Amino acid sequence: MTIQTIPAFAAAKKNRVPLAQIDVRGAEAAKRLARVLPTTGEHTVRSATFNSAL
Amino acid sequence: MKGPLVPFREIVLKVHSRCDLACDHCYIYEHADHSWRNRPKAISDEAISWTALRLAEHAKSHALPSVSVILHGGEPLLAGPGRLRRVCEELTAALDGVAELDLRIHTNGLQLSPRYLDLFDEFGVKVGISLDGDRAANDRHRRFADGRTSHPLVLRAVELLRQERYRHLYLGLLCTVDIANDPVAVYDALAELAPPRVDFLLPHATWESPPPRPDGSPTAYADWLLAVFDRWDEGGRTIPVRLFDSVLSTLTGGPGLTESLGLAPTDLVVVETDGALEQVDSLKSAYDGAAATGFDVFTHPFDLVAGHPGVRARQLELAGVGETCRTCPVVRSCGGGLYAHRYSAHREFDNTSVYCADLEALVRGIEARDAEALTPAAVTDPDALAAEHQNLTLTLLASLHRELDGRGGEEWDRAWRLALALDPGGPALDALLSHPYAHTWLRRTLTGLAAGRPGAIAEALRLSAHLAAALITAGDPAAPVPALAPVPAPVPVPVPYEDGLLELPALGTLRLFPPGPRSRGEALVTAEADGFTVTAEGRSPLKVAPGVETADWRPVRTVGGGGAPPLRLDDLDPCRDCFDAPALPRLDPAEADRWDRRLTGAWALLRSAAPARAAELAGALTTLTPLAPGETPVFGRSATREPGVRGHGYGALGIALPATDRELAVALLGAFGRARLNALLEVADLYAQDGWWRHPAPWQEGEVPVSELLAGVCERAALAPLDPEGAHQAAQGLKTLEDAPELTVAGRRLLAELWRELDGSGGPDGSGGTDSTSGPDGTSGSDGVDGSGAEPGHA
Repeated sequence: MTIQTIPAFAAAKKNRVPLAQIDVRGAEAAKRLARVLPTTGEHTVRSATFNSAL
Repeated sequence: MKGPLVPFREIVLKVHSRCDLACDHCYIYEHADHSWRNRPKAISDEAISWTALRLAEHAKSHALPSVSVILHGGEPLLAGPGRLRRVCEELTAALDGVAELDLRIHTNGLQLSPRYLDLFDEFGVKVGISLDGDRAANDRHRRFADGRTSHPLVLRAVELLRQERYRHLYLGLLCTVDIANDPVAVYDALAELAPPRVDFLLPHATWESPPPRPDGSPTAYADWLLAVFDRWDEGGRTIPVRLFDSVLSTLTGGPGLTESLGLAPTDLVVVETDGALEQVDSLKSAYDGAAATGFDVFTHPFDLVAGHPGVRARQLELAGVGETCRTCPVVRSCGGGLYAHRYSAHREFDNTSVYCADLEALVRGIEARDAEALTPAAVTDPDALAAEHQNLTLTLLASLHRELDGRGGEEWDRAWRLALALDPGGPALDALLSHPYAHTWLRRTLTGLAAGRPGAIAEALRLSAHLAAALITAGDPAAPVPALAPVPAPVPVPVPYEDGLLELPALGTLRLFPPGPRSRGEALVTAEADGFTVTAEGRSPLKVAPGVETADWRPVRTVGGGGAPPLRLDDLDPCRDCFDAPALPRLDPAEADRWDRRLTGAWALLRSAAPARAAELAGALTTLTPLAPGETPVFGRSATREPGVRGHGYGALGIALPATDRELAVALLGAFGRARLNALLEVADLYAQDGWWRHPAPWQEGEVPVSELLAGVCERAALAPLDPEGAHQAAQGLKTLEDAPELTVAGRRLLAELWRELDGSGGPDGSGGTDSTSGPDGTSGSDGVDGSGAEPGHA
């Protein structure tokens, strides 16, 4: 057995958004979190889908 | 019909039943239904009041956060400003304090004037306008009864709406397709008016009255729309196009965005000018009276209409489309098309759409154009997967800060400030994010907070322990920290301890005090070049060399070497128990040594039998956690099935140490296959509507949902270099998956990767590298590497 440092993923840094700039209320973060956290059942406003109007 | 009642969130309110144009493609006046002849021209005061009342009671009883009311016709502006004011007033008053009211109007624009727009501004009514494109296109159908063009008047209306004082009311333009028009000219004409959004409608048609196809092409409408798509793409896609956005949404696992596409249950009801409650009015193109329900706002609540068989038929999701559609690979995107477009006199709505070939060509055309852009890099690039998973962990940390919302007190604020200071590109936060159980800690804490679990806030305060450990791991406390928020080095980090133990994730556990009165408190941890120092009140400072075990310091050991990558053997982290089998407690030195030797032996096998795979594992893995023996991994089981409880960062494997090197090699490959898929599922949408379809799995009786099939295939593909039978099953499973409707674009791209993996199989000669005489359990191996590392008495 050896004792040595485990390298962190050097490559894993690319395109990282700084912590301070993460908008956890934004749609992108919500989508990300929804994949791994139980859904809160939070009601969301849905956009209209009626075919004959916008 | 089964399933819960789907409440109405969208009300189409017919405020006027006549129109000042005579468009020859209009489904209200020119198609099968003629009910408009017997309706009052304008909606009555009584019908307005009852509609408002019914809507408010419906929104209240179903706790709807919002409802949309679309003022429609005929031509709704013909109702006049006085009547429209009354509609807006009554609806606004009735919904006040009950639900958010989203008011819209859809008009041909001919009557639009500042008088109307001031009214709409007062009530926040957004305005959509029908326009079929350039003048030649618009004139093809949208004319006055005497044949005059309406085009200049529509442009005038749009111009008015685009003025600064009204621009916020401009909803967009709705264009009905005619394939005789030039698609590029149509799109350009619409785009020139800078609409906030656009939608293209297929002209209403049924199997009784099919759409014109002058050149006989079954995909003429798809071709036309794809020409528009290409033009839209050339222009940078600056204008949202609902039709295209809907396909792009479903291709990536999201919902359909229009009732004409996708499998979402319908949630809209129509109120006619006489108060009659009807189904969606495009049904009027099918047959006379097709939209009728027999209900009205005066005597019937909306719930009665929501239970009407005709409405329920459009809420059955997959069961609501015909048999042919149910197994079609694109059905999640097209949803069988608009309900009205499926009609035939013989089978009513139990048909494919009369636009079926067009819809399939449209979905496949968009997929072909956007497959690359819609596939996250994580699917094809291991480094991107690691990076994206760490981004997820970082988002969890940001989310924890938000959820605490001050409840963490000064302790949290202090740790959070340090995290911010260490963040931009600094090695310390990289170290934190690359520890797989930091991810687990965040998920558990967030889940605990959401559930109001006692102790969740105390769990959150472990951030300081993670940061202190990360600073030590980073090795250089004075490492490039941002000019934005410089951190002086060395940084003493206050870290809470419990039961006299200071836990530093990924590093080890330090006993500060024996259990007793001083068993709980806060210590200062200072990272130094050759270790760290811990200062706690009541004892002298402790200098710790992380790799040296002492009576007080139990380090996380490192195994590997001799060709194997160095990996943490983490038998200490409090969050490591996140695998299918229970995690073992701290190993004794002999057990740890056995892990070390077995890993070295297993790695030698991997490098020989599957060098490419061995390199991939070496690049991705950081941590092994010993699990209790006796648990057989469940093929197809995904950690994401129990979100918030299970799950860990990319780079960890949980394994029960087997008896032979070969078995460990197999266990490593299989566990890595599972871990890689789980990580992918946590950062990308590979499928949607899991469980709606069942598929044969070549390794078992009976059928399984796509999640299990894909997981079984991934694991077997990973094991392929050591298991030819499993590789064969993986190939069969992949063939089944090729036509699975659940798969997103990213999911399909993953299939290509898996085929590539199977074809290469990682063997030294690229031919599969598998000894066909040996099974995955290593029991019959005759390749000379089967049991050479077996421990005596370790059956």
